[in-house]
Amino acid sequence: MKKTILIGGVAGQGSAVTSRFIGKIFCRLGYFVFNYRDYPSLIRGGHNFNILEISDTPVYSQGEKYDIILALDQKTIDLHKDGLKEEGFILGSDKLNSDKLNPIDIGGILKKLGGPQILENDVFIGFLFKYFGIDKDFLLQEAKNEFGNNFEKIQKAIEEGYGISTETEKLEKNGEGNYFISGNEAISIGALSAGIDIYFAYPMTPATGVLHYLAKKEKEYSIIVSQLENEIAVANAALGASFTGAKVMVGSSGGGFALMTEAISLSGISELPLVVYLSQRTGPATGVPTYTSQGDLKFAVNAGHGEFSKIVIAPGDPQESILRTEESFYLATKYRIPVILLGDKHLGELDYSFKELNNSNVSKERFIIDNPSQDYKTYQMTDNGVSPVAVPGQGPVVKATSYEHDEYGNTIEDAEATIKMNDKRMRKVDGIEKEVNNLNPATVYGKGKNLIIGWGSTKGAIVDALKKIEDFRFLQISYIVPFPKEILKQEVENSDRVILIENNMTGLLGGIIREQTGIDIKERILKYDGRPFTAEYIIKKINN
Amino acid sequence: MEAKDFNTKEQNTWCPGCSNLGINQAVKEALADLVNEGKIKSKDIAISAGIGCHAKIYDYLNVNGFYGLHGRTIPVALGIKIGNPELTVLGFGGDGDTYAEGMAHFVHNCKHNANMTMLVHNNQTFSLTTGQSTPTSEKGFVGASTPFGEEESPINPMTLALVSGATFVARSYAFDITHLKEIIKKAINHKGFSFVEILQPCIIFHNTIPYFKDHIYKLEGNNTGDIEKAIELSREWDYSFDKDKKVSIGIFYETKKTTLEDQWSQYGKPCYLMERKIDWDKLSKEFK
Repeated sequence: MKKTILIGGVAGQGSAVTSRFIGKIFCRLGYFVFNYRDYPSLIRGGHNFNILEISDTPVYSQGEKYDIILALDQKTIDLHKDGLKEEGFILGSDKLNSDKLNPIDIGGILKKLGGPQILENDVFIGFLFKYFGIDKDFLLQEAKNEFGNNFEKIQKAIEEGYGISTETEKLEKNGEGNYFISGNEAISIGALSAGIDIYFAYPMTPATGVLHYLAKKEKEYSIIVSQLENEIAVANAALGASFTGAKVMVGSSGGGFALMTEAISLSGISELPLVVYLSQRTGPATGVPTYTSQGDLKFAVNAGHGEFSKIVIAPGDPQESILRTEESFYLATKYRIPVILLGDKHLGELDYSFKELNNSNVSKERFIIDNPSQDYKTYQMTDNGVSPVAVPGQGPVVKATSYEHDEYGNTIEDAEATIKMNDKRMRKVDGIEKEVNNLNPATVYGKGKNLIIGWGSTKGAIVDALKKIEDFRFLQISYIVPFPKEILKQEVENSDRVILIENNMTGLLGGIIREQTGIDIKERILKYDGRPFTAEYIIKKINN
Repeated sequence: MEAKDFNTKEQNTWCPGCSNLGINQAVKEALADLVNEGKIKSKDIAISAGIGCHAKIYDYLNVNGFYGLHGRTIPVALGIKIGNPELTVLGFGGDGDTYAEGMAHFVHNCKHNANMTMLVHNNQTFSLTTGQSTPTSEKGFVGASTPFGEEESPINPMTLALVSGATFVARSYAFDITHLKEIIKKAINHKGFSFVEILQPCIIFHNTIPYFKDHIYKLEGNNTGDIEKAIELSREWDYSFDKDKKVSIGIFYETKKTTLEDQWSQYGKPCYLMERKIDWDKLSKEFK
């Protein structure tokens, strides 16, 4: 079973909420759902739409052809009718025009209910689930769970829709319910699982979801969520808190991340752990703010002036986001370096479904020593470059500094000591590389003599495309720094045709691969229109 | 405990006779007094510094310290306070640091009202970068970047702090160690964001000692609970060096207000002592 439903309307009409709710119900019924979300940067008006991909087997990307279009306005029909399948239909108010329209007397129903226009969504929900033969009580219970208060009118609206619809395709339960989660939610619960103490942020699409989710959980999990005056304050305050031994994360998109880069450099020299969530959107500058991109890869890799070690991790879906977030905290805390968790709008704001949702078994330790001596040295020389950690309040004087320093953290400017401290910090890389080798820095999917290479959120469309193309493997690079050179070299050597797929204009990962391995991947499928890949698009490009 | 117990062995690189030496001494004396009075614990003092001459104090005070970036002393101090509310947090900044590069942080932290103390070494010039104009340099100031004289009038940080909601606003003078020490003690004892501006003549690039000698007077009996009076008082001196102006030092304003920490009822203890055990099934179930 595979169904693709497009839901569209002007911003504020409820297409996002409706589509998420429909997706959730299918997940509860054991189906796999991918919920694509497309919206311009405005609050009321414009055109928002969601594409729900529903399947009885795992699915991670949106289709291009729709079985049903749920139109909340005429524009939805005008813009998307060409995507409707031959046997498909449009569900909408009888005021709309289309020869494929299944007209509903929304005006009449709403008049009867005496309710606001927004209730039309619930009428359509009722209609749709009766169409698929879903039990009404189950549906109403789910709606009650979802919408809680003001449920009475919603219930009536759903019942109205249910009443005027006919069971056409009976969908049976497809096993136990599935999880339905966005990348931003996954990063949030990954952070909670890692033991986050404080999340500092300034709102910026598409990272804001983490700020909203964690703010809701502030009291329940005794964490602090603090929105400061700008991203500079955010990142510097985070380091202040990190100095006290708190586990901190900050989040933003490219523009805000740009302001944080001075603090990333500071994290490097002061050796204070910092987890930075960078959710990419279409740049440069303000760019196309509510659309997706993989354009900040090298910006993340090179963020911060000077030379120091850092880690850059790019999860490919929400399940990976949970694990990678926990790994980010673990590595940042243990090695006392900045870790950049690189996502994008396509990962952060879209809903994915999973049979299971697991957290990681990496250590959640704080790595703070008990009873530090009075002669404590913050930057004590060690073989692996990592110094024992004490924090203010424990007893001895603890220092952290942006200046080059001696082992105590006192300012120095002499040549020899400068080299010594730089070497100390860089020595961490050996330990990090060994550790990262055990964290699946790169993953191979499928079998075949040809190879697709990609990273981040393109994983969904590539994995879905893999099912329909012969003789292709997919190598997903998850750790960008440190880069899994050996795995990449080996996979490329064992392949005939090698194709790089990236959601950017210049093939940024391709550049990193060349720098790290000397391998130049000539064949590239690049997309930089702000829109994500679909499996169909990839297949078409590969076959041409 | 004595002031000298806060000494470090680091070589002092302020210019001979620098007014920062006075500030350093006053801070040490204030901290020693507060420790002796049982108000604070030495191990719980944490300072942050920006970048500039003022910031060298990081190396000369034997307390927990974070030597941050130019302009960022306030967010770092705020982060320290949020991470561990039990710490006594002091931020040190220069006038370039606080009023130029870090102005947004200054205004917003007057509003946040976290329980910490901000000491601004205001010498009305960028000194470590060899004498350029800052936001508090007077009209006509001749520096390396304003060879024909500064064209603009300075901002007034005292007025700004007051209208931005700071709950403790005071001014002192680097060469009056006794006065400065008492002001710092009161600032630390105040619950909320305490702003202390320290007039700190730069003997190399902006020697204002002769002017301050004749024009500074100590506030006595002013109503520190009256915001309008305090604003009026803050406008008495406009950071110029006109011969008929007077420069007051002392507490301008003091009031009680909910602190940033008070807003967070979930605050239990310093973050590093929080034991976090997550029930993964419960956490993930929300998405099923």
